[in-house]
Amino acid sequence: MTTICGGHGVRSSRHSVLRVPRSRRRWSSLLYLAASFLLLAASARAQAPPQFPAHVQLVWDGNPPSPGHTLWVGALFQLDPGWHIYWQNPGDSGEPPKIQWKLPPNFRPGAILWPRPILLGSGTVRDYGYEGQVLLMTPLQTPPELPATAPVEIAATIKFVVCREICIPGKADLTLTVPLHAQPPSNDSPSRKIFDDTRAQLPKPLPPDLKVSAGSTDGNLELWLVGAPQTHEIRFFPLDPGVIENSAPQNLDSGHGSLRLTLKKSDQLLKPPSRLRGVIVLDEIKAYKIDVPVKPS
Amino acid sequence: MKKMTFARIIIVLAALLALSTAWAARVGEPAPDFTATDTNGQVHKLSQYAGKYVVLEWHNRGCPYTQKHYETGNMQRLQREWTARGVIWLTVISSAPGKQGYVTAADENAFLKQVNAAPTAVLLDPTGDLGHLYDSKTTPHMFIINPQGTLIYNGAIDDRPTTDHADINGAKNYVSLALTEALAGKPVSDPTTRPYGCSVKYPN
Repeated sequence: MTTICGGHGVRSSRHSVLRVPRSRRRWSSLLYLAASFLLLAASARAQAPPQFPAHVQLVWDGNPPSPGHTLWVGALFQLDPGWHIYWQNPGDSGEPPKIQWKLPPNFRPGAILWPRPILLGSGTVRDYGYEGQVLLMTPLQTPPELPATAPVEIAATIKFVVCREICIPGKADLTLTVPLHAQPPSNDSPSRKIFDDTRAQLPKPLPPDLKVSAGSTDGNLELWLVGAPQTHEIRFFPLDPGVIENSAPQNLDSGHGSLRLTLKKSDQLLKPPSRLRGVIVLDEIKAYKIDVPVKPS
Repeated sequence: MKKMTFARIIIVLAALLALSTAWAARVGEPAPDFTATDTNGQVHKLSQYAGKYVVLEWHNRGCPYTQKHYETGNMQRLQREWTARGVIWLTVISSAPGKQGYVTAADENAFLKQVNAAPTAVLLDPTGDLGHLYDSKTTPHMFIINPQGTLIYNGAIDDRPTTDHADINGAKNYVSLALTEALAGKPVSDPTTRPYGCSVKYPN
């Protein structure tokens, strides 16, 4: 087996359209794994290695940090056409990106807020993730007191795999400098826009007039929705692996004022789950978080 | 003519139904029997190994998750340890021609020698039939069949779903754990886990 290490194959940073002041973006020890000696021979003989298909940078929403509040930052991925990264439950293959924060004293990182995913893959292997541009926004809790003048220096190590037909692991060591006294961004600033756009894609809690319940039959799990708006398509994205067959069709039918989504149980499921947790996406637009008990058959 | 077409549809549907029920590889149920040819032209049938434990390991040498286990020697170590204890270890390659991980028999034999691998045999499955029979999703994806022919494990190789070589040390190896428990006459404590890795490169 062969491993080619180093910076080649890594796309150089694009100019930043976002509010990322004095940010240094540095890739290190990104692994590019060649398939075999044959491949190595081929690449050693000739052309420059292919461009790495993902670019990632740390970004900030532009609101100046204040003591004891939330500072919104995130990892912004830009992926070449056809390439994808993964949701928190990646589905049948792959793995979600992981962010390890290195923060100033007494700053506490929160969990990633995952935008609604899309269905990826083909045939019997289906995955959940993102294509194009995606921001994995993360709240940072600031301490009760901030230094008077120094800017806030934030660093993170991000590990991920980016896949198309094949998968390539990526690792990026990134930094971001947030000034203490910045003007709040205007409504139409690019940084504000990308955080606002991402917020619009975060799954919301169920509205009070939409009731969801779940049941278990022999080979299926069923989701029942009462009070759903006129909907042509619903897709359920499970939070837990091994519960539903990711590659099976999800059939929607209606009757008695409710919608029923039928999900095929995973072959790996040995007994019905006690709860069904995940995200439902209505007509590819509205996304809601659900976590409901499963009634036995 | 119309009736004929209808009858044909029924036959096809019945065949599909038979296939779909046969396709299940569920823990606690009989493992689907198969016939496959290895890199030395030898034919292997699952039922010939009745009375022995059989491990199935889905493989793609171009996949970084597979590489984690071969470049660290972890997979070879497992193959040696368990075949020495009488377990049949069958590595399966379901990559389609032209896709990542597809190999010829000679190419694979050279690779096995180069990385000092020690499976009982490597089964070539370029049609993906064996992969679909077990609904193998990833490389690696591991299955264990007991001497009675019952599937007792379906899932990941270990509990660290990453490409990081450093994650081998300290990982809970589900395959070793399941075999250790089964050989001691105990039930397998984690009989299904989420397999992790690259998607199996089936034909389109």
